[in-house]
Amino acid sequence: MKAFINGYESNSCVGNTKELMESIYKQQTGITIDTSYMPETPVGLGKMKYNDFFENLNSVVATVLQKSNLENFHETLLIVGSSVGGMQESEQHYFKDKNYKNIDTSRHAISVISDSLEKGFNFCNSRSISTACTSSANALLLAKRLINVGAYKNILVVGADALCYTTVCGFYALGVLSSKVCTPFNENRDGMNVAEAVAVLLVQDEQTTDSIELIGAGASSDAYHMTNPDPEANGAIASMSNALKDAKLDAADIDYINAHGTGTMANDTVEGLGVEKLFRDVCISSTKAITGHTLGAAGAIEAIISCEVIKQGMIPAQTNLRDAQNKSINIPNENIKQDVKYVMSNSFAFGGNNTSLIFGEIN
Amino acid sequence: MSKKVAVNIISASKIYAPKKIEDLEEKRIVPKMIIRRRLTRNAKIMLYIADKCAFTNGKIVYASAFGELQSTVGITDAILNETQISPTLFQNSVYNSAPSYFSLLNEDKDEIITISSGMKSSLDALKTAALQALVSNEKVLCVATECLDINNIEEANNCTNYLEAGAGVVLEIAHDESGAVEIEESKEEGLIDSLLDLVKVVKMWENGYKKVFINL
Repeated sequence: MKAFINGYESNSCVGNTKELMESIYKQQTGITIDTSYMPETPVGLGKMKYNDFFENLNSVVATVLQKSNLENFHETLLIVGSSVGGMQESEQHYFKDKNYKNIDTSRHAISVISDSLEKGFNFCNSRSISTACTSSANALLLAKRLINVGAYKNILVVGADALCYTTVCGFYALGVLSSKVCTPFNENRDGMNVAEAVAVLLVQDEQTTDSIELIGAGASSDAYHMTNPDPEANGAIASMSNALKDAKLDAADIDYINAHGTGTMANDTVEGLGVEKLFRDVCISSTKAITGHTLGAAGAIEAIISCEVIKQGMIPAQTNLRDAQNKSINIPNENIKQDVKYVMSNSFAFGGNNTSLIFGEIN
Repeated sequence: MSKKVAVNIISASKIYAPKKIEDLEEKRIVPKMIIRRRLTRNAKIMLYIADKCAFTNGKIVYASAFGELQSTVGITDAILNETQISPTLFQNSVYNSAPSYFSLLNEDKDEIITISSGMKSSLDALKTAALQALVSNEKVLCVATECLDINNIEEANNCTNYLEAGAGVVLEIAHDESGAVEIEESKEEGLIDSLLDLVKVVKMWENGYKKVFINL
């Protein structure tokens, strides 16, 4: 069975999906310079507007249901990808009480997201993936495989991560946070912007009038270092090659790569090298200068962007590109209007965990 | 709707202790001290289980409901006390740390999926491992660990008598379903539920049942 993306919605620092795509094509960032997590240290963050993260999550899922061909999710499997789960709430209790007494362990875990959604929507079953920044990309990879083998007809993939002190201060400790809006692939880039998002995709085994095919998925491990990518880009090349093999496509078939492109020195150098080695002249850009790095939600929100690029036939420019470090790859300075048949989306994570997805236009 | 497959359980192992598992054979399994010192407790248990299952390379599905709690607590304590966060603690705080260390140590460049489905983490890991075995026709390591041995854990712990625990199996798709059985219901008093389904399969393997059905 083929896997089709038949609906989606998202919320990020630039708003819903419609607003997200408008921001990407107008190159209007949602990153703000923030001192609420580290008063002495301004950093660029992608903050969503919400009163309660879980209400926001439920609202995005409800929108996807409303726009879908389903009456409910009772025969739908839920797969969540998240890197921090309920950390935001646990931190609030711990910083206030200085003990664990008011921390509900079930609301601390990654599974708090699926628990919350199961209560609201009665899914037939759920599971949660947490592979850091590839979490929701891996959720989509598994959804594709489950559809392919005929195990499920409907799978809702949710990528969701809320900002918290642990990630903001943790990335700062690694020395990879930018104090400005990030500048992926630039020679003089100085780091990433941590962000939050909810991104939801309905994956089904039947094509609708508005389908995009999830045509390929590949993964790999660097086996090199816990945080630094393999400098030869072997892990990135393996995940991209595996996705191409799964899609039965050649590198030359890909029209656009939505890069992981965090804006860190290590990631963009290696990802650029991997693309240079594997592809000839494919267009590549990162949308993280608009959304920030939404961590476990990144794979899902960038899957939505990939689907929209195909539907709108417009390859997004690299926001904030002034002087590209890698002159051998094709990073567009302006949006390019063209027929887009196949888009690859890359996600790379701590532990050398790599996932590449390929989305295809329905002929 | 779901799909049921039969899997051969090739090898299996489990270990748990009320507080700290004393002998994880770290020096034999990880001879290099510089790496051994960086390993999380989950990683040490996972490496021990993989070693007992004689798994050295291939696809891994790892599960943990609470992940790297010790690293997370170290980070939040540093934030609370306004001290510097250790970069190693942060890199170790992700849920896929343990299998990533396995990957580093064994130069395993294959796929790693980490499941964190609360108290059904090991059941969902088994489902995912069976899927990975089905689509690849390869052997898959399915392993789950929990390490809750942190200061004052009694303030939050109401789910286990064993603060460190792990279980794992190596499985492959059985192309012949004959002799396959459903996973037997059994209890393991005091063990955290997130490991229970995997422990059931390990116990079945120990009792001679080496082919089980798994619903994807």
